[in-house]
Amino acid sequence: MAEMAPLLITPETRPKLREIFEKELSFVNLDLCLTCGMCASGCPASGIDGLDPRKFLRLIMFGADEKILSSQWIWVCTLCDRCRYVCPMNINIARMVYRIRGMVPKEKRPPNLQRSCELQKKTNSTGIPNEDFVWVVNDVLEEARQEPGWEDLKAPIDKKGAEYYLNQNAKEPTVEPEEMVHLWKILHVVGIDWTYSSKWWDGANYCLFTGDPEDWEYTLRKQVETIEELGCKYYINTE
Amino acid sequence: MGAGSVLVVGGGIAGVQAALDLAAGGFYVHLLERGPAIGGVMAQLDKTFPTNDCSMCILSPKLVEVGRDLNINLLTLSEILEVSGEPGNFKVRIRKNPRYVDESKCIACGQCAEKCPKKVPNEFDRGLSQRKAIYLLYPQAVPLKYAIDPRHCIWLKKPGRCGFCAKVCPAGAINFEDQPQELELEVGAIILAPGFETYDPTPLENFGYRRLPYVMTAHEFERLLSASGPTRGELIRLSDGRIPRKIAWIQCVGSRDINRAKVPYCSSVCCMYALKQALIAKEHIKGPFEAAIFYMDMRTMGKGFEAYLERARREGVRLLRSRVHTILPAEEGLLLHYVDEKGNLKDESFDMVVLSVGLKPHPTLPSLSQVLSAPQDEFGFLETRLLENRPGVFVCGVGAGPKDIPETVVEASAAAARVENLLAEARHTETREKTYPPERFVFPEAPRIGVFICHCGINIASVVDVEAVTTFARELPDVVYAGHNLFTCAQDTINRIVATIKERQLNRVVIAACTPRTHEPLFQETLRAAGLNPFLFEMANIRDQDSWVHPDDPERATQKAKELVLMAVNRVRLKRPVPLATIKVRRAALVVGGGLSGMQAALSLANQGFEVALVEKSQELGGFARRLFREVYGKPLKVLAEELAAKVASHPRIDVRLGVTISNVEGSVGNFRTTLSDGNVIEHGVVIIATGARPYLPQGRFAFGYGEDKRVKTLLEIDELLERKDPLLKELRQAVFIQCVGSRNEEHPYCSRVCCTHTMEQIIKLKEINPELEIFVLYRDIRTFGKKEILYQKARELGAVFIRYTPERMPQVETKEGLKVLVFDEILKRDLVFEPNLLILANGIVPDAASRELAQFYKCATTSEGFMLEAHLKLRPVDFATEGVFMAGLCHYPKFAEESLSQALAAAARAATVLAKEDLPAESLVAQVDPRRCTACGQCVALCPYHAPSLEEVRPFGLVSVINPSLCKGCGNCAAACRCGAIQVKNLEEEPVLAAVEGSFGRIWY
Amino acid sequence: MFYAVLEGLRRFKIPHSFKFVSIITLYARWIREGRLKVDPSWNKEGLKVTVQDPCKLVRQGLGDQVAEDLRFVIKAVVGEENFVDVYPNMSNNYCCGGGGGSIQAGFREKRMRFGRYKFEQVAKTGADIVVTPCHNCHTQLIDLGTYYKGKFKAVHLWNLITKALVR
Repeated sequence: MAEMAPLLITPETRPKLREIFEKELSFVNLDLCLTCGMCASGCPASGIDGLDPRKFLRLIMFGADEKILSSQWIWVCTLCDRCRYVCPMNINIARMVYRIRGMVPKEKRPPNLQRSCELQKKTNSTGIPNEDFVWVVNDVLEEARQEPGWEDLKAPIDKKGAEYYLNQNAKEPTVEPEEMVHLWKILHVVGIDWTYSSKWWDGANYCLFTGDPEDWEYTLRKQVETIEELGCKYYINTE
Repeated sequence: MGAGSVLVVGGGIAGVQAALDLAAGGFYVHLLERGPAIGGVMAQLDKTFPTNDCSMCILSPKLVEVGRDLNINLLTLSEILEVSGEPGNFKVRIRKNPRYVDESKCIACGQCAEKCPKKVPNEFDRGLSQRKAIYLLYPQAVPLKYAIDPRHCIWLKKPGRCGFCAKVCPAGAINFEDQPQELELEVGAIILAPGFETYDPTPLENFGYRRLPYVMTAHEFERLLSASGPTRGELIRLSDGRIPRKIAWIQCVGSRDINRAKVPYCSSVCCMYALKQALIAKEHIKGPFEAAIFYMDMRTMGKGFEAYLERARREGVRLLRSRVHTILPAEEGLLLHYVDEKGNLKDESFDMVVLSVGLKPHPTLPSLSQVLSAPQDEFGFLETRLLENRPGVFVCGVGAGPKDIPETVVEASAAAARVENLLAEARHTETREKTYPPERFVFPEAPRIGVFICHCGINIASVVDVEAVTTFARELPDVVYAGHNLFTCAQDTINRIVATIKERQLNRVVIAACTPRTHEPLFQETLRAAGLNPFLFEMANIRDQDSWVHPDDPERATQKAKELVLMAVNRVRLKRPVPLATIKVRRAALVVGGGLSGMQAALSLANQGFEVALVEKSQELGGFARRLFREVYGKPLKVLAEELAAKVASHPRIDVRLGVTISNVEGSVGNFRTTLSDGNVIEHGVVIIATGARPYLPQGRFAFGYGEDKRVKTLLEIDELLERKDPLLKELRQAVFIQCVGSRNEEHPYCSRVCCTHTMEQIIKLKEINPELEIFVLYRDIRTFGKKEILYQKARELGAVFIRYTPERMPQVETKEGLKVLVFDEILKRDLVFEPNLLILANGIVPDAASRELAQFYKCATTSEGFMLEAHLKLRPVDFATEGVFMAGLCHYPKFAEESLSQALAAAARAATVLAKEDLPAESLVAQVDPRRCTACGQCVALCPYHAPSLEEVRPFGLVSVINPSLCKGCGNCAAACRCGAIQVKNLEEEPVLAAVEGSFGRIWY
Repeated sequence: MFYAVLEGLRRFKIPHSFKFVSIITLYARWIREGRLKVDPSWNKEGLKVTVQDPCKLVRQGLGDQVAEDLRFVIKAVVGEENFVDVYPNMSNNYCCGGGGGSIQAGFREKRMRFGRYKFEQVAKTGADIVVTPCHNCHTQLIDLGTYYKGKFKAVHLWNLITKALVR
C-alpha cells in the first residue's frame, strides 16, 4: 500500500463507529483487539481491496469511518466468522460488518442483494408469484409419479397439522425444479408427515445480509406465523 | 510438639528449595510428593534460560541434598487426607501409597525393569517414549528407588501371572503385598508448592496438535532435546526420523485467550523458553537450520532476558510479530499462512511446529484446596497475600500463579522465611544432628589400607572381572583388606564396611565403585561412623570411567580397573587426616538500605530472633515506595511502607542507623566487621544488601519533549497527580503514553519490567477519574506478564488504544506549535498524529551508582548494567557468590513492590540458614601458603575468584600471601599458578598427584 | 437459509411452538434408526467424494456435531472408503466465499479471489464430487470449479442419498 497522508487523531476526532461498538454492541469486544493477526492470516478476504479483518478493526479504532462505509470490502466479507473462531479476544467482526452494512444507505448497497431482500419482504427472494410455486410443485410431482414405484409420491402444500414443515429455497422451483423431487423421495421413504406452505415458502433469506435487522425479523416472523397457523411440530429447510 | 516441624507439599524446585532452607534454618521438614520421586517439571527440562545451564545438572545437587538431609523426611507417593488444628499446631493425616518396592532394600540396579514385560507410555517423556510397569521415574531420581505402577502391573492385577521382577531382584526388594499406610504428622506450618501442568492444546484444533504429524508441544520438545529423553537428545521428527531443518514456534497457545482456551492470563515463561528452545535446537542440529517464533508480544522482562533475546536475534532466530490462524498440512511438513511485517499474506512451510503451551493450575489443586480449606483464585491457582494463603498455610511457585524458576526459588525461600517468623521460638526443637564416635588418632600408625570393590549390580561386574581386581588389590603393599560387594552403597554393606574398618584397624579406605559426585559424601560418612577422619579416603570410578565406556572389551576394562584402583591406593597412602573446618558465627545481621526490601528483610530476621542493624543513607525509612501510587495487597503502597517503617523503628532487635553509609568492611561469612561513615563498627555474621535503584530521567534521544513542555511527564509525576487527585486530570481530553523510555536501548539494554503494568494501573485510574479521556499507548511489546495481563485487558476494555512502534521508527514529539505526537502504525502502514493534552513517558529504572562501590566492599560482583549479580541467575537468585551476603529489591533488578517484599523475605531465609547455626561447616581442603617460599608476586590474589588470598606483612617473612581459610573453596587455582610452589591444597600436594599418575602406568608409589 | 431462522429466532426472541432442526441431523438420525435405508454399492466406479461444511450451518450454527452427522451420511451413501475429507474442516472450515450475499452482490472477480483457498482445498483432495449442503456454497463451488477449471462436481446431498436409496 502506498504511503498515505497522516491520520490526524485529535481530541475532536470522535469516531462514530467506534462509539457504536463500544456503547451499543460492546459484546463484539472491539476494544480488546491485540492486533495479533490471527484473523487476517485466516481470512479468505484478506488482501482484497487492501484490507483485512485486523486493518478493518484498526480503521474503526482510529475513526476512519468514511473509508470503511465506502469500502466494498464490507460486502466482500461473507460474515463467515472464521476470524472470531480463533480470535483470542473473541472479537465479533462479522457482527460489526453487518452493523456497518446497515449504516450504508440502501441505494448505495449492492443493488441485486438489496433487491432480493425487498422481493423477499413481499413474497420470496425471486419474486415469482406464490401461485407459480404451487403450480410448479404440482407439475413436477405429477411428472415424478410417472416413474415406476413412485406413484404415490407426495408433495403436500398447506397441510394443517403435518408434523414437519419444509421450506424450499426459491432457486429450485425457479431454476432447477427437478431437484425438489430428490428430497420428496427421501421424505416419502422415511414416511414422515410433511407439508409446504403456499406463502412465505422461500428458504432463502437475503435480508440476513443487507444489514437491516428489521427486514430479517419481518420475513422470519412471517414464516413463523405461517408455521404456527399450520400447527407443525418441526420446522426444517433444505439445509 | 510439632511447632518445630513443617510440612512442605510438592517436590518440585519450589518445595525442594523451601525444604532445604527450612532444614538449614533449624526446622524439621516433611516433604510430601505425590509421585515416586521429587524433581518436578524442572527435572524434565533440557536447558534453562537465560544461562543455558543443563536443568538436571543444576537441580540434581539440590535433590541429592534433600535425599541426604537428616532433617528432611521425604514422603513420596503420598497425599494429604485431612488437616486440622491451627498455626503452630496442625495435625495432618497422610496416605502413603504403596511403592511395592522396599526402599530400604532397592539398589536401583534396574534388573526388574529390564525383565518386566509390560510397556506403558512414559509420562516423564510426555508419552513420547515407553517405560515399564516397574520403573524409575528418571535416571537421577531422588529417591533412587524403583516403583511399581499398580495401574499396569500384571501381577497386581492378576496375582500369580507374572512376577518376573521379584524373581530377578537381587535385593529381594519387590513386595507385592505392600499396602497404603496412613500417618499422622504434627507440624507448625504448611507450605504448598503444588506446581502446574502445561496446557493441553488438543481442543484448539486449528493448531493441529494430535491431528498433524510434526506438531508438538514445547513440553514434549523439551524432552526431545533432553539427553535423557526419547531420542537421547537427538533432534529428529519422531514420526519419520528426519531432522527438522526449519522449526516454527507458536506463542500464546493456552495463554492470553479468553475465547476458546479460556485462559486470560499470560503464562510468563513461554517467550523465554521458545527463544531458548530455538537456540538449543540450533546447537543440536548440524548443518542448515532455521527457527522462527510467531508471537504477539515478546516478553523478556526478567534479568538477563533482554540480552538473551538480542542474542537469539543475532544468531538468526526470526521473530515474527504475527499469529497464525491454522496450521496446515503440507508435503513432508507443515504450512503456515501469516501476515508478514510488511502486511502481506505469506505462505511458508516448516518441518516442525512447536506450540508454546501455557501453564495451568495443577489438576490436583481443587482437592488440595478443599482438604486444606485453602482458597483458589479466579483462575484456579491458590490465593496468596505475601505468600500466605490462610493463617499458617503458605504458597510458593506456580501453584500461586505462572512464574519462572528464579521467581519460584525466591518465593520458596520467602515462604520459608514466613514460616520461620511464625515458628521462631521452636527453631532447633525438633531437628536432629548426626553424631559420630570420636576420631581415632592414626598419625603414628603405618598405613593399613582397605579396598572395597563394587559390582554395582551388573553395571560393573558384567564387564570387569571384580574377583580379579580384588585379588590384585589384596597384593598391593599396605593393603590389609580387599573385598567385593554387590552394592556397596546398600545400607547392609555400609554397616559391614564400618565393622571391617574396626576389626582390621584400617586407617585408609579405597572404594572402587561409581562416581564421587554422588557417592563420596556417603562413603566419607561411613568412615566417620567407623571413627576415621573422612579425608583418609579415595574413590576409584570403575563404572562411569570404565565398565560403561568399555562394555565390549572386558579384558582391558579389567586391566583398567586395576590401574584405577592402584592410582587410588597410591594416593590414599599419602593422605593425612584433615580436621573438619568450622567457622564460629556472629549471630547478627546487617541490612544496608532502608527501603521496602531492607525494612522487610530486617523485620523478618528480627522477628526470627536475630539482632539486626539497619543502615540507611537518607534521613528517612521507606525509600522509593513512598513515591509510587499503587496498591499492594489491598493497601496503598505508601501506607504499607509507612507501616513497615513504624514496625522497624520500634522493634527491640532492630538498630536503625539513619544518615550513614558504609565506609569499610572486613571479615567474611560468620564474622563481618563493617565500619560506618560515622565511625561506628558493626559486627555481624551476614549482610543483606537492599540499596534500591533510581528512576530514569528522560534525556537526549529519549527526552520526547521532557523538560521543554510541561505537558510531558514521567510515570512518577503522574503518580503524584493521581495521588493528590489533581483537578487537571478531569479536564484532559487526550493522553498519550510512550513506553520503554530509557529501557531496551543501547544505553540501558534491559527491560524495566514494571512500566507496562504501571501504565495499565494509571490508565485504569485516569479512566476512573475521567471516563471521557482518550488514551493512546505507543509501545514496543506490552509486558504485563502473569496475572498482570488482566490489567492490560482492563485498560483495553476501558478504551485505551495500543499502537506498536519499532526502535527503527521511534515516535516523534513536536513541542514548538502545541504538543504533537507522531507515530507510524505498523498495521495500517500509515502515520498517525496525536494532539494530546498530556504525554506520559513510561520511564525505566536504572541502577544506583553507589551499588557498585558497596558490592566491592563485600567482594561481590555487579552486572555490566550495574545491578547486583547473584551467585546463580536460576537457583541462587538472592545469594551473592560471596557467602553470607544476600540481596533484595531494586538493586538486584527492576521489580514490583510485591516481588521486592518476597525477595526480602527470601534473603532473610537465606541469611537465617547461616544465623541459625553456632558454627558453620567450612571447606577443609583449603590452600595453604608456605611463607618461606612465597615471593609475594600477587598471582594468587589476582586469580582467586573468592578473594581468599591477600598480601600481608607476616613476621619474620615480610610481605607474603595469606589465604583466609574461611573464604577459600579449595579450587586449586592459586596452587596451580604459584610459580614458586609455595601454595598447596591440603591432601592435593604434589606427591599424591604424582603417585596417582604413576599408578595410571601400573607402577606402585611406595 | 438455515442460520437466518436459527439465529433470527434467538436474536429477535420470536415466540414459537415448533422445533427448528437441520435436515442433516434428520438424515443421520433416520439412517441410524433404519428408517432411511441406503446402500453405497451404486458407486461402482469408486467416485471420490468430499464435503463443504457450510459456515452458517456448522461454525455459526450447530457446530462440529452437525459436521459429524454430515460425514456420517455421506459415508453411508458413497462408501466410507470413498470419502476424502478436507483440511481444515468442520468448525474451522474455510468459507467458500458464496455467503453473506456475495453471490447477489456482484464483484465476481473478488468473489473468485475469496474462494481460491476453498478451490485449492477441494482440488487437493482429488475428489470427483463435493457435497454442498447449502445453496450459496453450491452455487459458489460450481462457479469456482468453472473459474479455476476444477475437475469436481458440486452436488446437493439429496442427489447422493437418492442414488443410494434402498426401498
